[in-house]
Amino acid sequence: MTLFDRVFSGNDAVYGLTEAAIDNAIAQYGADQAVSFPHTAYSLPCYYAVTGTKVANLGELKEALGVVKTLMTREQKLNDAFMSGVATALCAEFIEVLKYINGAEPYAEPYYGHLADAIIRELGVPLVTGDIPGVAVILGKAPSNEEAVELVKSYQAQGILVTLVGDVIDQCVEAGLKMGYALRIVPLGKDVTSVIHVVSVALRAALIFGNVTPGDAGALMKYTMDRVPAFVNAFKPLDDVVVACGAGAIALGFPVVTNETENIFRVPKSLIVQEDVSKFNATSLEARDIKIKITKIDIPVSFASAFEGEIIRKG
Amino acid sequence: MGDFKLTTVEEMEAATNRLLETGAKVGADAWQIRVKNQTPHCKFGEQGICCRICAMGPCRITPKAPRGICGCDAHGIVGRNYLKFTAGGAATHSDHGREICHTLYAADPNGAYKVKDPDKLIRIAKEWGVETEGKDIYDLAHEMAELALMEYGKPFGVQRWLKRAPEHTQKLWHDAEIEPRAIDREVATSLHMTHMGCSSKPEALVRQSLRAGLADGWGGSMCGTEFSDVLFGTPKPIDTEANLGVMNAENVNIVVHGHDPSLSEMVCEYADDPEMIAYAKSMGAKGITVSGVCCTSNEVAMRRGIPMAGNFLQQENVVLTGACEAIVVDVQCIFPALGPLSKCFHTKFITTSPIAQMPDSDYIRFDVGTAAEKAKQIVKTACENFKNRKPELVYIPDMKQKATVGYSLEALVKVLDGVTNSQVDVTGTTKPLLECVTSGVIRGAVAMVGCNNPKVRPDTAHIEMMKKLIANDIVVVASGCSAQAAAKAGLMDKAAKDLCGAGLKRVCELADIPPVLHMGSCVDISRMMILVSELAKDSGLKISQLPVVGCAPEWMSEKAVSIGNYVVATGIDTFLGVDPYVSGSSEMGEWLTNGVRDWVEAAYTVETDIDKLCDKMIERIEEKRTAIGI
Repeated sequence: MTLFDRVFSGNDAVYGLTEAAIDNAIAQYGADQAVSFPHTAYSLPCYYAVTGTKVANLGELKEALGVVKTLMTREQKLNDAFMSGVATALCAEFIEVLKYINGAEPYAEPYYGHLADAIIRELGVPLVTGDIPGVAVILGKAPSNEEAVELVKSYQAQGILVTLVGDVIDQCVEAGLKMGYALRIVPLGKDVTSVIHVVSVALRAALIFGNVTPGDAGALMKYTMDRVPAFVNAFKPLDDVVVACGAGAIALGFPVVTNETENIFRVPKSLIVQEDVSKFNATSLEARDIKIKITKIDIPVSFASAFEGEIIRKG
Repeated sequence: MGDFKLTTVEEMEAATNRLLETGAKVGADAWQIRVKNQTPHCKFGEQGICCRICAMGPCRITPKAPRGICGCDAHGIVGRNYLKFTAGGAATHSDHGREICHTLYAADPNGAYKVKDPDKLIRIAKEWGVETEGKDIYDLAHEMAELALMEYGKPFGVQRWLKRAPEHTQKLWHDAEIEPRAIDREVATSLHMTHMGCSSKPEALVRQSLRAGLADGWGGSMCGTEFSDVLFGTPKPIDTEANLGVMNAENVNIVVHGHDPSLSEMVCEYADDPEMIAYAKSMGAKGITVSGVCCTSNEVAMRRGIPMAGNFLQQENVVLTGACEAIVVDVQCIFPALGPLSKCFHTKFITTSPIAQMPDSDYIRFDVGTAAEKAKQIVKTACENFKNRKPELVYIPDMKQKATVGYSLEALVKVLDGVTNSQVDVTGTTKPLLECVTSGVIRGAVAMVGCNNPKVRPDTAHIEMMKKLIANDIVVVASGCSAQAAAKAGLMDKAAKDLCGAGLKRVCELADIPPVLHMGSCVDISRMMILVSELAKDSGLKISQLPVVGCAPEWMSEKAVSIGNYVVATGIDTFLGVDPYVSGSSEMGEWLTNGVRDWVEAAYTVETDIDKLCDKMIERIEEKRTAIGI
């Protein structure tokens, strides 16, 4: 199977799930049922950023899915794969917003799920000044808990904002890693679709700080590529859905580093196979052209701006 | 997007028409007029069924006269004509390569010609098993030059360069008995075979055509390219400009035209000399502008960023600007029409080679020994001619495009190193390109080469096909007049990435390259042969399995046929937009478009409908992808 076929297959799978989920929701709540994420002025931020259209209720969500379908062309070309990646991301956003239906609170400690606009505005300045030199999206299950923690900590020590999706969160919890937005480690959720919440951050950044007009997909992708220093670390095994999400990330300019060697195609600067997880950090930074100037201070504890919000509890 | 815009063929034609008005005023002839005079062409010649190799003829084949006087049928006549055509092309490139070897032999640390890329020389020496340790680089240069010159006439063995091909390819050549022996021998054997009463069997004639072609591509042309790099430097990416607008009305304009960089390099060298610039100023000009036409232009553009005034069918336009003080030529593809044309203006038409002497020219014989002094004389002559310019005839069309050129194989590998990740990849290979191709980001590559031909609306096929290919995520490597067409249109401007499909566009952005890569002159097609060989070795695939094809949509010269033969023989399907005078023989057609596939795993496709030709290439590339499961 070609790389693009895998993207298309993953996209089809997610689209199918999304369609069923929306239909079920309409059957349950009716087409007029409102849908929204909490604490955002950007409706469904990804869909809004890409198309310029706000979605208010389930009926409109169904219509929006029709728009997403138009992105799902099936020629063996990168543009088709990119658009299918974007379509996959938008489907993920639809699935995620359904979780919030009727005022539900689907995410609880340690998971964050959707991130509020306020957080993005807060992140904006350190991102621009380079105080946060990058955004890591770590996804899947690391070969071991130790390797998971070591990787997360390595980014944390560089001041990189780390977002986690899937089993890696459990691994970090088991290993007793302190996590939280203040520490720049944000566990998003267990489902792969929760990765959309970091994409949502990148796209809202483009709207808020980049002055990108919602619906100007070209300018949006250029902004994320040039200005949002994000990258993805995806652990094996990669299924087609993850590959499809990866295509979306690459479309936005975010390289994907994976330790998957089966049925994967390497793409320079975009899809990089690094079998050694301990080298994910160096590989990712080089792939995203992130250069960090570090003055190493020889002290017995970790030192980074990421620890600035740390709360020392008694005991 | 910025304000980037391609120059259209219509705009170029409008400029040409304006220049032809000037020409009409002074009574100048033009190829546009001569084409009309020659049309319609003789059908027997067009179909390749006219034979005049002996004095019993000329014979021609008709339904009533199916055989010539000797009894040769249409297939034999077409086959012999085809082989002779090839031999002409192979001889031409090979002699060019030979001249370069002689120049290398004359290289001297205190002379006009120096070794500018000693590392490349040492690399080739090691490849040829020559001891390099502790040897003076000039001694090595002379030794290597002599060895290379032996390749032209050695009594035994086959071409040294063949070893650069993947083993599978070498075996195909060996089994098909098309390994070229001495370069000149293959040309001579071809002429022997085509003599009256020798070969008239299409199979044998086609086989020798491939062998003579290989003697060129993997012999003479490769010598030309490799040792030109040693002498004048291996090209690196460099910015330049293209089209007639590069000529400067206030300067002395010297146009170099022809092929051998030994001449053009020296002219450029002296045109840059402060003493010469001062001399130009003393003649009333503001400076000296050297620009080029055809392949010698490609050579100096690749190495020095000298702007390209135009390609083959634009050579007369250079003179028609009325602002050309001297058009300096050496060999190959030079219209004898330039002589009479230059007489209509103040332009000096300076011929320099005993190989290419023409009426109505100033002959300043150029050779390695006197290169410096002759180049100086040429530049001086041009400067002195500035005052003879007729201002009322001066019109330089205000059109030019930016181009980034200089993509030798070495430069390409360096570009590819730039997109590797030091944590996972090795450098110095073609692997990043292979990864782009296998993942589907780039669908494949097309090598666009060849000439202009009035039978095709000039430059249209080159430009339109390239536009379609890059929009389909197919990267284009170009050489010769095809490359210049691309540069004139703007396809070698990095901004042209916006005309690409998403895949190629991304690659252009990440690697910082234009979508059409200029690999050099016509002898530099040998660079492309080494590139595909490296791709095959790095991927473990056969050359014929790579999603790569060659295309000469507007070809016209014998050299182009020789090139086509070695490209096919190297395992690359080749697409022609002009029929190589073989339509008179079904057997020859069958051999070239199908039969040779059994020997070399590739064949020709001839299609004069340019749109269809392009679709067929894209189709072939996709077929090759499917076949290897990518």
